[in-house]
Amino acid sequence: MNRLQKQILQKFNKSGTTSISMRLRLFLFLLVLVVTMITGIIVILLVSGTFTAGLTESKNLIRSELERSSQEIAEQFGQLSVQTVEFSRELSKQLEEELDNQNLSMSELSEHPDKIEALISGVYELTYYSLQRSKCSGAFLILNTTVNPALENAQYSRAGLYIKNMEPNIISSSSPNLTIFRGFSSIGRDKSIDLHTQWSLEFDIIEAKYYTVPQITATENTELSLSRLYYWSDPMILPGTSEEVMLCSIPLIDSEHNIYGVCGFEISAMLFKLAHMPYNHIYSRMFCMLSPISDNYVDIKRSLFAGGYSVKNMSKSNSSLRITENTKSFTTFDNKSGNIYVGFHSPTQLYPNGSPFSDENWVTAILIPKDDIVDSITRLNLILILLLSLLVTLGVIISIVFSNKYLKPISEGIKIIKSTEPGEHPKTNVQEIDDLIHYLSVYKKELNRKLEQDKYQLLVLEQFVEKTKTLSPAERSVFNLSIQGLSAKEIAEQMYLSINTIKTHNKRIFAKLNIASKEELLLYINMLKEVGQELV
Amino acid sequence: MKKKNILFIFILFLVPAAILTISFLKVKNDNPVTLTLWHNYGGQMKDKMDEIIDEFNGTIGLEEGVIINVTSISGSATLHEKLTMAANGDPGAPELPIITTAYPKTAFILEEKGLLVDLEEQFTKEELSAYIPRFIEEGRLDKGNKLYVFPTAKSTEVLFVNTTIFNRFAEATGASLKNLSTFEGIINTAALYYEWTDKQTPDTKNDGKTFYVSDSLFNYTLIGCQQLGVDFIKANVINFKDPSVSKVWESYFNPAVQGHYAIFDGYASDLAKTGDIVCSTGSTAGVLFFAPTVTYADNTTEPAELTILPYPVFEGGEKVAVQRGAGMCITKSDKKKEKLAGIFLKWFTSPEVNLRFVSSTGYLPVTEEAFGDIMLKEIDTISDANIKKLLLVSREMQMQYDFQIAPLFDGIDQLTDKYNNNLRVLASEAKDAYWSHSENGILKEALTSVLKNKYKDFSDFK
Repeated sequence: MNRLQKQILQKFNKSGTTSISMRLRLFLFLLVLVVTMITGIIVILLVSGTFTAGLTESKNLIRSELERSSQEIAEQFGQLSVQTVEFSRELSKQLEEELDNQNLSMSELSEHPDKIEALISGVYELTYYSLQRSKCSGAFLILNTTVNPALENAQYSRAGLYIKNMEPNIISSSSPNLTIFRGFSSIGRDKSIDLHTQWSLEFDIIEAKYYTVPQITATENTELSLSRLYYWSDPMILPGTSEEVMLCSIPLIDSEHNIYGVCGFEISAMLFKLAHMPYNHIYSRMFCMLSPISDNYVDIKRSLFAGGYSVKNMSKSNSSLRITENTKSFTTFDNKSGNIYVGFHSPTQLYPNGSPFSDENWVTAILIPKDDIVDSITRLNLILILLLSLLVTLGVIISIVFSNKYLKPISEGIKIIKSTEPGEHPKTNVQEIDDLIHYLSVYKKELNRKLEQDKYQLLVLEQFVEKTKTLSPAERSVFNLSIQGLSAKEIAEQMYLSINTIKTHNKRIFAKLNIASKEELLLYINMLKEVGQELV
Repeated sequence: MKKKNILFIFILFLVPAAILTISFLKVKNDNPVTLTLWHNYGGQMKDKMDEIIDEFNGTIGLEEGVIINVTSISGSATLHEKLTMAANGDPGAPELPIITTAYPKTAFILEEKGLLVDLEEQFTKEELSAYIPRFIEEGRLDKGNKLYVFPTAKSTEVLFVNTTIFNRFAEATGASLKNLSTFEGIINTAALYYEWTDKQTPDTKNDGKTFYVSDSLFNYTLIGCQQLGVDFIKANVINFKDPSVSKVWESYFNPAVQGHYAIFDGYASDLAKTGDIVCSTGSTAGVLFFAPTVTYADNTTEPAELTILPYPVFEGGEKVAVQRGAGMCITKSDKKKEKLAGIFLKWFTSPEVNLRFVSSTGYLPVTEEAFGDIMLKEIDTISDANIKKLLLVSREMQMQYDFQIAPLFDGIDQLTDKYNNNLRVLASEAKDAYWSHSENGILKEALTSVLKNKYKDFSDFK
C-alpha cells in the first residue's frame, strides 16, 4: 500500500472514533420506542383505572357480601320473630287447655306449685318441635311462678323450660344434640336429654330484660297485637354460661289478656357465626357483624360476629367503634385503640312498624381489618409494576438483539470494504450494502488503475530528473534558462554566447534527456511542478 | 455492544424486579391462612380454649401468618357423628375442619378413608420423645405404623364423691370414704346408703336412694376384668365365659336391680346435680360438669363439696384404670396448612400451655415435663379447688396405676353401645320385676329368682 492509500485509510478510521456508533444509535432509538410504549401503557392503565381496580373490586366484593349477609340475617331474624309469635300463640293455647283440664286458671297457678312440673312437661313436645322447625339454637318458656314460693329468693326465681340445641348448624334430624338448660330434670330423664353443664331448675330473672321488657311493654301497650310485642335482647351471656346469645322473647297472654310469662327463641354466637360466615378466599379476616347503632357508634360488646377474626379480642379495652362514612371509598370503623376496619354497613330491621321497639336501629356490617385491604391492593399493584418492569427488561433485550442483528451486515460490509479485494468477498445479502460494495469495488479498481498510471508517470519523471544530472555545467545553465521559458536567442544574449552555440547545447541536452523539443521539455517541467519538484 | 453493558442493563432491570418480587411475596405472607378447628371442649372449658386460641392467634399465629378459627364445639358423641358425616360426604354435612379433636375410634374411620395426615411428618423423633409414650402409642393407627391422633389432653377415670351428702350419711351410719377404694366396699356402702335413705321417710317403704353410677358400664367391666387379670374382649368379642367377667358384670347388675346403683343413660354428673347419687366413676374431664350445688325437686339447693378419689379396685385385683381422652388430628389439605396445623399442635401441647389448659379443664397433661415438676410448682396457682384435687389424684394414679386403652377394631363402637344399652335394659327389667314383689314383702327371695340366669340371658343377647 502506498503512502497515498494509507492517508485515505487513516482519515477514514479517524472519522469512526469521534462519533456514536450506529449500533448504539439504533439501540437508543429502539429504547426510546420501548420507553414511549411503556409510558403509553402506564397512561392507559392510569386513565382506565387499572391501578385502582383492586380497590374497586374489593368494594364490589364487600358490597355483594353485605347484600347477601344482610338479606340472610334479616330473613333469619324475621322468620324467627314470626315463629316466636306463633310459638307464643300455640303455647298459650296449650297451657290454657292443660290448666282447664286441671280446673285451674293461670292466675291460680302460683298457688299450686305442685302442678307446675306436669304443666311444663306437657308443653315439652311443643317446645321441642318449635325448636326443631326454627333456625335457632334454643327455645324457652318462663312462667310467672315458682315451684317453691317459700324460698328466700323466690321472687327472682321463675319456673320454665329452656332447651338448647348444642349443634344448631348440623343437619341431623335423627339426633339433635339437645340439653335441658333450665327446667325439671325429670323431663331430661324421660326424654333422654342431658342436663346442660350449667343446668338450674328455674330461671334467675334478676337483670333478665328478655323476661321483663316484653311483659312491661305488653302491659303498657294493651292495644298492640301480639305480633308487635316481641323483643330482641342484646347479645349477652346468660348467668353461669360462657357463650353469648341473642334472645327473641314475647309475652305469654291468655284468652283473658292476662300476661303470665314469656317464651321465645335463642340465636347463639356460634349459630350466628356459622350461619353468616362471609364466603371469600381473598380476605380471610373478613367478618360480618350485627350490631345496634346509635350516633354513628356501634358497640362491639353488644354485637354478634361471624368470620375468621376475633374483633372482640382485638379491641378488649375499647368496645365502641366510630363509623365514618366516605362517599368515594370504604366506610371506616375505628376505635381509640387504633383498630381500624373498613367495609360497608346497611340497616337491618328487626321490628315491624308499630312495634314499641321500632326506634332501635341495628346494622349489618361487612368489615375487614384495614391493613388487609391495603396489603391486597398493594399486592395487585406490585404485580402490575412487576409486569411492567419485566416488559421494560424485555424491550431492552429485544432492542439489543435487534440493533445487533440489524448492524451485523453493515459491519460485515464495512469489513469487506476495508479489505483489499472487496469484490472477491461473499455477499451480505443486503441489497443496498451489496450495491455499495460493488460500486466501491469498481471505484477501487479505477482508482488502482489511475494509481498505476501515476506511478508510471512518476517513474518517467524520476528518469528524466536522473538524466538532467548527466548534463554538463554549460548545458545545465542553458537547461535552467530554457525551463524558465527563455528562447534560444534570449539565452544566447544572457550567456553572451552565439545562438549557434546555444543550439548546439540544446541539441546535446535534448539528446541526453531523450526529448525531441522544447515543448516536451516544458511538459516534463510542469509535470515535475505538479508533483512538487523543481529542478531549478 | 460490549457484554459488560448488557450485563449492566440486566442488573439494572433485574434488581428492581427482584425487589418487587420479594415485596410481593412478603405482602402475600402477611395475608394469614385460616385453619378451621372443631373441638369438644364445651361449657366452662370453652372459655379456656378460646383464651388459648386467642393467645395463639395473637402471638405465634401472627408470626406464622395463621388464624385458628373454631367452627364447632360439640360433645364427643356429636363430634364423632359430625366427623363421620363429613368424612362420608353426607348431604348437609359440613366440610371437614383442618384440625379436629377426635378419639382413636373416630380417627380410625377417617384414616380408613385416607383423610388424615401422618403426624410423624410434622414432629421429629426428639420432639415426640417429650410426650408420655403410652399417649403417643394410643394415637398410632394403621397397625401402629402411623401417628394420626396427637395427644393434646388425656384423661382417666376417678371416683367423684359428693362429700356433703356422704359426710351426713357417714355421721349417721359410720360409713367411711376408705371403703370406697374397692368396688366391693362401694357395693356394701351403697346398700347401707339405700337403707339409711329409706329410713328417712318411714311412711314410704322401699324409697331408698341410689348411691353410685358409672359413666360407662363398658369401661367399668373392661377395667374391672383387667384388674382381675382377665381380658374382657378377646378376638374382638366379649369373653363371657371367664368367671371374672361375670363377677364384674354382677358387681354392677345386682346392686342396680336392688336400687343401690343407678341405671342411667346419661352423665353421672346429671344425677349428681339433683342429689340422686352420691358417687360415680367417670372421666377426669367430667369434673367441670359437677355443679357446685345440688338442686332438689323443690328447688332447694345445698352446696356440694366434691371429693375425688383414685379409681376403685376390685379386691385382690391390680391397680388398673382406663386411659381416655381425645387427641387432635390434622386432616389432609395442602402442605402449607398441614405444616401450620402442626405448629399449632406443638404450641398447644408445649408443657407450659398444656398445663395451663389442663389446669382449667380437668384433663391430664401429655408431656413428661408437664406431669412432673411443673405440675407440682403450678398446682398452688390453680384457682379451682376441684381441679387441684383432681390433678393431685391423677398424679398419684400416674405413679401407681397401670393404664388400659379401650380396644380398637371395626365394630367396637357398636359393641360398646350394645353392651351399655343391653345391660341397662336388662337391669331395668330385672329391677321392675324385683320391685313388683315389694308389696308382698318377699324381696329377699324374689332377688334370688330375679337374678337367676340373668348373666346367661345377657351373654345371649343379640
